[in-house]
Amino acid sequence: MDVRAHVSVIFHLDKCIGCHTCSVACKNIWTDRPGAEYMWWNNVETKPGTGFPTRWEDQDRFNGGWKWNGKNKLEPRCQTRADSFLKLFYNPNQPNLDDYYEPFTYKYEDLFNAPQGDVQPTAIPISLITGEPMEIKAGPNWDDDLSGTPLYAENDLNLDALSEEERNMLFEVERLTMFYLPRICNHCANPTCVAACPSGAIYKRGEDGIVLINQEKCRGWRACVAACPYKKIYYNWKTGKSEKCVLCFPRLETGQAPACFHSCVGRIRYMGVMLYDADRIPDAMKVPDRALVESQRSAFLDPNDPAVIAGARANGISEEFIESAQKSPAYKYIMEWKLALPLHIEYRTMPMLFYVPPLLPVMGKTDNGTYTHDAKNFFTCLENSRLPIKYLASLFSAGNVEVVEAVMRKLMAVRHYKRWQSVRDMDENEVHKILREAKTTPEEVERIYQMTAIPTQYQRYVLPPLQREEAVESTCSPEACKGCSGFSLEPTFSPRA
Amino acid sequence: MIDLFLYIGLPYIAIIVAIIGCYRRAKYSKYSMTTRSSQFLEDKQLLWGSTPWHIGVIVVLLGHLIAFLLPQVWAAIVSVPWAVFVIETVGVAASILALAGLGTLIYRRVTSARIQAVTTTADLLVVALLFAQIVLGVLSATHFRYGASWSTGTVVPYLWSLLTLQPDMTYVTGFPMLFKLHLIGAWLFILLLPFTRLMHILAVPFQYIWRRPQIVIWNTARRRQQAVAATVAADSRREFLKGAVGVTGATGLLAIGVSNKALNYFKGAAADPEAESALLEKKLRRLELTAEERKYELERQRSSMILVAPYKDLDPLKGKYFIDYKMAPGLAFRGKDGLPVVISAKCTHLGCTVSSTLDENGRVMCPCHVSFFNIFTGQPEGGPAKDPLRKIDWALVDPTGKALITGVAGNKPEGTATPEELAACSLFITKPAPAAV
Repeated sequence: MDVRAHVSVIFHLDKCIGCHTCSVACKNIWTDRPGAEYMWWNNVETKPGTGFPTRWEDQDRFNGGWKWNGKNKLEPRCQTRADSFLKLFYNPNQPNLDDYYEPFTYKYEDLFNAPQGDVQPTAIPISLITGEPMEIKAGPNWDDDLSGTPLYAENDLNLDALSEEERNMLFEVERLTMFYLPRICNHCANPTCVAACPSGAIYKRGEDGIVLINQEKCRGWRACVAACPYKKIYYNWKTGKSEKCVLCFPRLETGQAPACFHSCVGRIRYMGVMLYDADRIPDAMKVPDRALVESQRSAFLDPNDPAVIAGARANGISEEFIESAQKSPAYKYIMEWKLALPLHIEYRTMPMLFYVPPLLPVMGKTDNGTYTHDAKNFFTCLENSRLPIKYLASLFSAGNVEVVEAVMRKLMAVRHYKRWQSVRDMDENEVHKILREAKTTPEEVERIYQMTAIPTQYQRYVLPPLQREEAVESTCSPEACKGCSGFSLEPTFSPRA
Repeated sequence: MIDLFLYIGLPYIAIIVAIIGCYRRAKYSKYSMTTRSSQFLEDKQLLWGSTPWHIGVIVVLLGHLIAFLLPQVWAAIVSVPWAVFVIETVGVAASILALAGLGTLIYRRVTSARIQAVTTTADLLVVALLFAQIVLGVLSATHFRYGASWSTGTVVPYLWSLLTLQPDMTYVTGFPMLFKLHLIGAWLFILLLPFTRLMHILAVPFQYIWRRPQIVIWNTARRRQQAVAATVAADSRREFLKGAVGVTGATGLLAIGVSNKALNYFKGAAADPEAESALLEKKLRRLELTAEERKYELERQRSSMILVAPYKDLDPLKGKYFIDYKMAPGLAFRGKDGLPVVISAKCTHLGCTVSSTLDENGRVMCPCHVSFFNIFTGQPEGGPAKDPLRKIDWALVDPTGKALITGVAGNKPEGTATPEELAACSLFITKPAPAAV
């Protein structure tokens, strides 16, 4: 048993209001540089929808993630060691600018410099790459709130899991439904990007599991862009280096939550330490699709188990770290309550970002134009839900419907219990029956309610004390170097030279 | 003068600048080391540009490199006529492939607005030069056929003369202009290497073939130390395993040898009469040799005198080696007074044979542990030896067999002889008196 600590993340999708504040906070700190304008280390997608870059889930085209041969071999789907060399010249799996969007700004000075005339001056859009006037054809959240329109949402790959009938029902205007899916780098425990990098520039920090790209070792071969199934590595076309979410490690190292967490309006984000057994990686991912969620859970360790604590100490994990693992909201959501699920675990990267699937679009039901939910037909709610469970299973459990249903039942049980507690419009026995069928207890429901609805900031973010990164990035303040390319380094200068 | 610069000055400048420049860029400006790929901005034409270009140019460059680095191998290959034909064909085909790819890349670079946004002056310079260089190369190859063959006697020795710091440009000064331009172009590329995107040639990620899939880096000192300790432990485990395998292997071999002997002992010797007789033959030969040696030794012991050398062969500075009655080496010199100096040559320290040459102080040296001995007294003069060299009794005998002068250790020589008589004498050593033994 090789006990390691990992800073893990929970996004509670029922709480996300789709305001994109997280994306903007991230953009202002990290990606407002030349070459990085098109990057959204944090983005919020509307589901059903095609996402950013468009149809990033289409692994038949992008070949991201791992390929399991059904036995003992797990290799990057995009390349073998030998053919990676041929792909240096041209990588057939790499998305291009048009799969994202051409970054643009507006010619604001025209508003001020236009001569006096009969018509209002306009600020025309210009490309941030060529500087030429352009027609805006796409953006980072181009299909925002457009679920149900045939133009975008129909192309969502997760709809392939549904039958024709279900699809038609989903897209009936009356039954139109959607939810938001905020995405950052998953900081996977078994990352394909690290394995695919020819230069060996991408690495996982041992202490907290944050995946970083050493900008001095990156040579721009772009294999990582293809290998990451979540398309969360972006190629900076100006500096010739790849960049990705750094989980705001400079903020973490000063005890602050990452910018997207800190700015989250819906308070959907939780952060905490998970202890896991590194010896189980990557073997935990060598199981059939439907067993993947459970297999990933089996790699996590109980931070209160004396054997695990001893193993953690032996591995140099500090007492403070172990303590934050014991208080971790992530451990509660993932392991205690089993409410949080990984996104597209079938890519077999062991993502360390977990989502509590949304209940609202599932539970709500329209009846003659009115929104109802009927406690008596509790389980038929699931079957007649607006958003088919199969769709959620395609996103969060590699198609295993039972896993998602168990989560849904528990989430519903919490609602019913709290409604009964405050409104008293239901029969007590019926509520307790619901709790039993959802395999939960009033005590657990209270704890889930507390952590979901009224947690303090310090309950949502249980940050471990981190050592300051001893890399070049920490010696150069990103604030002071804004506007330079890359991580605040001039292309031809090194801070040490 | 201009030739001197182009074929000797320029190459050395280019190589020195390239080495220093590449080193500095790789060490102090790592951030600038990148392929600067533009596939992200435009990927349709790139497929038909970059792939043929890179494959073509790598084939051509490897051909050039092999011819230069392994001239003997290359010469052996091109001595076969059809091999030259194949090489020439492949070379020209690869060049044309590269040229087509490069043409596509240049077209793409000048027509795409997105690509122009990432194009620098250096990029344009490099592609223009590359295009010219390959055109020159193809023209040289087609106008002056069989370059694979004639270059082994011209360009290759020229390059090696540069490399061995004995530059000789006469190999190439007589070449046609077309080829000279191609050669100068090559030096220009080496010169430009550290200052342009060409530098990415040095970044080919060969380590990807063997590196482990996942990379974890620890930053905290405590954990790093532990990681080091774990590696050391793993290493020592590995060493232990290696040692164990080695010991087991050695024991196994030993066991096989011993058990074979033991088996033979109980089973009796091999029943192969031929091998047996060969073995006996060998034993006999050895016995015969030993007997001969002993016989020779006994003969010496029996005779009262042993010949060392004719008197005229003795030298005052260079001693004459002989074997004395004790079957030990001895040395004989001609002394200052014309009389022989005869002394044991067996060092009294550990028994090595001392050297036969006198130094200016009249000493000989034992080469084993640098002991010095005075040959006139036999006394050690420096070095680890403590005891003197033994003096040996001698006699000068004329051709009639009469001993004219005899010298016994510890006494003055007795007898006289004229120089003419001496010249005819021979030096013998005499059997020491039984009391002295």
